[in-house]
This record gives sequence, structure tokens and C-alpha cells, in this order.
Amino acid sequence: MFKDYRFTTNLLRVFVYTVLVILLIVTIVPIWLVVVNASRSTLEIQQGLSFLPSTHTLDNYGTLLGRGLDLGRGFMNSLFVAFCSTLVTVYFSFLTAYGLVVYKFKGKKLFYNLIVALVLIPLQFSIIGFYQYMSKIGLTDSYASLILPLIANAGAVFFAKQYLEAVVVQDLVDAARIDGASEFATFHRIILPLAVPGLMTTGIFAFVAAWNNFFNAFILITTRDKYTLPMLVQTLRGDVYRTEYGAIYLGLAVTVVPIIIIYAIFSRYIVSGIAMGALKE
Amino acid sequence: MNLTALKKINHGYLFIAPFVIGFLIFGLYPVVNTLALSFTDMTLMTREGNWNDFQNFTRLFADDVFMTAVGNTWLLWILNFIPQIGIAMLLSMWFTNARLRLKGVGLWRAMFFLPNLLMPAAVAALFFSLFSYYGPVNQVMVRFDLLPEAVHFLQKIPVARALVIFIQWWMWFGQTTIILMAGMTSIPVHLYEAAMVDGATSMQMFTRITLPLLKPILVYIFVTSLVGGMQMFDIPYLLTDGRGSPSQSILTNTILMYTKFASSKGHIGAASAVGVMVFLMTSVCAMAIMYFLRDKDKDK
Repeated sequence: MFKDYRFTTNLLRVFVYTVLVILLIVTIVPIWLVVVNASRSTLEIQQGLSFLPSTHTLDNYGTLLGRGLDLGRGFMNSLFVAFCSTLVTVYFSFLTAYGLVVYKFKGKKLFYNLIVALVLIPLQFSIIGFYQYMSKIGLTDSYASLILPLIANAGAVFFAKQYLEAVVVQDLVDAARIDGASEFATFHRIILPLAVPGLMTTGIFAFVAAWNNFFNAFILITTRDKYTLPMLVQTLRGDVYRTEYGAIYLGLAVTVVPIIIIYAIFSRYIVSGIAMGALKE
Repeated sequence: MNLTALKKINHGYLFIAPFVIGFLIFGLYPVVNTLALSFTDMTLMTREGNWNDFQNFTRLFADDVFMTAVGNTWLLWILNFIPQIGIAMLLSMWFTNARLRLKGVGLWRAMFFLPNLLMPAAVAALFFSLFSYYGPVNQVMVRFDLLPEAVHFLQKIPVARALVIFIQWWMWFGQTTIILMAGMTSIPVHLYEAAMVDGATSMQMFTRITLPLLKPILVYIFVTSLVGGMQMFDIPYLLTDGRGSPSQSILTNTILMYTKFASSKGHIGAASAVGVMVFLMTSVCAMAIMYFLRDKDKDK
């Protein structure tokens, strides 16, 4: 009977691994196609599928540039927006969360409930009011309209609060006070360095979210020179590129590869971050 | 009350002040403004709009397009959510199963999650090019005689819908797996040991221990997915012509809102009305789910 159990377990294992491999193929193939085809000429792509890279990356880049799509510029724009968004999100979310974790004040419970509610509220549906208001105060077509709202990023505050609750020790805060450090100095010099892993996790999510954000940029940014990568990607579907597959894939690869690299380096932070956001809800 | 306590009180407000100010300016005011705009006939061409009471809303309901968009959004969300939670549940059970003891769980999980981080706009553009008339899918199918001739895949309603559903599933099943796994591993092992001693089957252990203890996590997944699904835009927008073609079959709430906003006159009053309606619908559904699935034992 013991042998039987072992046999069925192994049979089950074979089945499970088969399903996993199929899912892995489904997951990876589209991504791999983008990366490989970015380096292949349109002719090569039309001759059939291949899973090996070729040598035409620069030609493809030239094709895009020749049709007025400056991938380099879009990349720098996206990098700038994502970088500023990350800084703003990380700093202000931890500042807010620290206020919630360390101090007692009237309305604290209400404020915390507001943050939890804000995580769930579909604020995207107020974009029209946001747009009209930004155009009144002259912030449309400016990156400020993409970055400044992140001062109040409820999801990030929620995560930062969970994180700080586990990390901040009241004794440490009191010791800093006795040493004469001001409240803000305590936060900046003692708590922030202590919370680096949490800052990283928040930062990675903020970066990816800003890098991938299409909708807000699409509504708010109008000058072509200011287009971020997702907006350029959107133009790739146009008739100008209809059969320039190599160039299209290069455009897509440029948006995707940096994220894959970030993920390869930081996947540990990312996976634990997702689990943490959900568990304590 | 001594001095330090007083100091503490003041500083708490100082630390949260930037968030509150940021929220009032960039979060709350736009919501109020959208609500106000939804009762006007404002366009992007006019400086001032006139109040037109509930006209925007009555027009929305008189027009089939709005109900089509709402119906589409629900359909696309539900049909991706069911396989998403199903596969995630299966995967997380396998990954945490003591009998299977799978190798490289962390790596499998990390790979399945990868699509979630990719730019939705790029993913949509990728599938647009894969399934376009001259695209590789047609090339391969025709070459291997699976199709007699190339097909305009993206002009077929079932194909367009299936692709949106597939892409959404593809991007989210890994994330759901990670969350479910975290929930499953947080269930104390001794519960299962006790059940095993009592002779429970693995099915009984799943329905009597795993599912009830996972409920808060399931509600979280359900609600966040719903709220995200109702805002679906990038993928259906970029997969076809940006108007939800073919025959408005992948026209979602947000695409409708956008087309009203981006119409030649820029009807921001009408676009706001779409936003307000969908905002209400989503919030009410999210709250209803949380209310009906709340932990009833805790209330007692």
C-alpha cells in the first residue's frame, strides 16, 4: 500500500509539472516574441517564427526614427516621470504612515478609514473633473499633473503603515527625542534609514505603476515631444507602421525590457510586497 | 497633559498634513468637480457651461451605448475573473501541498507573475500586431494549413472578446496566486493535523478549513479585481480601433467616457456623467460584496 501511495504521488507530480510547464509557455512566449522580434528585420519576421534573436535592432530603430517616432526621447520622458513619481510616492507615503504609527491624535481612526476607502475607490472616473481643473490652473500638458497627485497615494500609505508598524520601535523614537532630535529629524535620520527595504518595495511598485501608466498621460499630455512610452506605443498601431513589424516590436521591447530587468533584480521585494498588501486588509 | 504629549499631538497632524492637502487638491476636488460637470452641458469649446439638471443622465439611459458598455465591462471582467481565481486556487494549493513537495515554487510563481508588471498598452499593441491581418498568427496558420486563407481576426466579435479576456487573465492570474498562497501559508498547520487525526478527507479539509479561513483574502481579491475590472481601458482600447470595435463588442465604461471626452466638441459634461454613474455602480457593488461576505462571527 505504501508503494501505491508513492506511485500515485509521483503520477500526480508528473501531471502538476506538465500543467506548470504549459502555463509557463503561455506566460513566456508572448514576452519572448517581443524581445526576439525586436532584433529581427520585418522580412525575417514574415518568413516565420523564430526563438533566436537576429541583428537588425539598429535598422528597426532607424525605421522608427525615420517615421518621426523618437523612442530615445520617449524613454527619457518615461524615465523622468517614473523617477519623480517614485520619489514623491515613497517620501510622502512614509511621512504620512509615520504620523499614523507614532502619534496619537484626534481623528486618527477616521483618517485611517479614509485611506482604506481610498484604496478601493475607483478614482479614475474623476479624471474628467481632474482634467478640466488642471486646464484651468494651467497644469495640463505638464508632468506636474501626473506626479503631484501622488503626494496622496493611499495604496502606498497603506503599505507603508503595515511596514512601519513592524519596524518602528517606540523606544528608539523616545531615545532620539531624549538626545534632542526634533520629530522630523527623527523621521529623516533614524526611521527612513531603518525602513530601506520597505522604501524599496514601495518604490518599485511606484516606478512600475508610473512607467506603465497610459490613461492619465493620454488624457493630460498633448505635446508630442512630451509623450511617454505608452503614448508612443499607442501610435505604433497606426497605418504608418502597418507592416514594419521589426520596428513595432522594438518599440514594445523598449517598454518591456527595463521592467523585466528590474523584476529580475528585485523580484523578492515585489513578491513579498504583494502578499503583505493583501494579508492585513 | 504634559508637554511631550502636547508635542506629540501637534506633530501627528504635521506628518499627515501633506497627504491631506494633496488629497483635497488632487483627489477630492476633482471628484466634486466631476460631479458638478455631470449636471452641465459643458464642452471643451465653451468656457462656461449651463446647468441642465439630469439631462446628461437621462440621455445616457435613453442611449443604448451606455448599457452596452456597462454590459461589456461586466462580461469581460467576469469571464476573466472566474478562470483567474480558479487557476490561482489550483496553483496555490499545489504550491503549498505537503504531499507534492514541488521544486522551485518561488521561481514558478515569479515567472507567472511577470506579465502583471508589463505595460498594458504594450501588451495590447503586441496582441494587435500578432493577430492583425498580415501578422504572424495568420502567417503560421496559413503556412501549416490550419486556415485556408488569412482571417481578419480582430474584426470578429468572439475573437476580440476572447483576446481581451485572455490578456486580462494572463496579466492577473500570477498575482492572485501569490496573494492566495500567502493566505494559505498563514493558516496554522495544527488545524490540518487535527483534522487528519479525526480522519478528514482532503476535500473536507479544503471546504471546512482552507476556504473559511481564506474568506477575508478572497473578499479582498474579489473587490480589488472588480474595482480594477470596471476601470478596464488600455487593453480593449488599444486592441482594436479605440472605439470598442467590432460592433462595440469590447467597448467598456472607460472607453465610452473617453470617447465622449475626445469627441469633436469634447462633451465633458456628458463624459462626467458616465464617470459618475460608473463610479456609483462600482462603489455600491464593492461595498455590497464586503457587507455580504463580511465575517459574520465577528459581529456577535
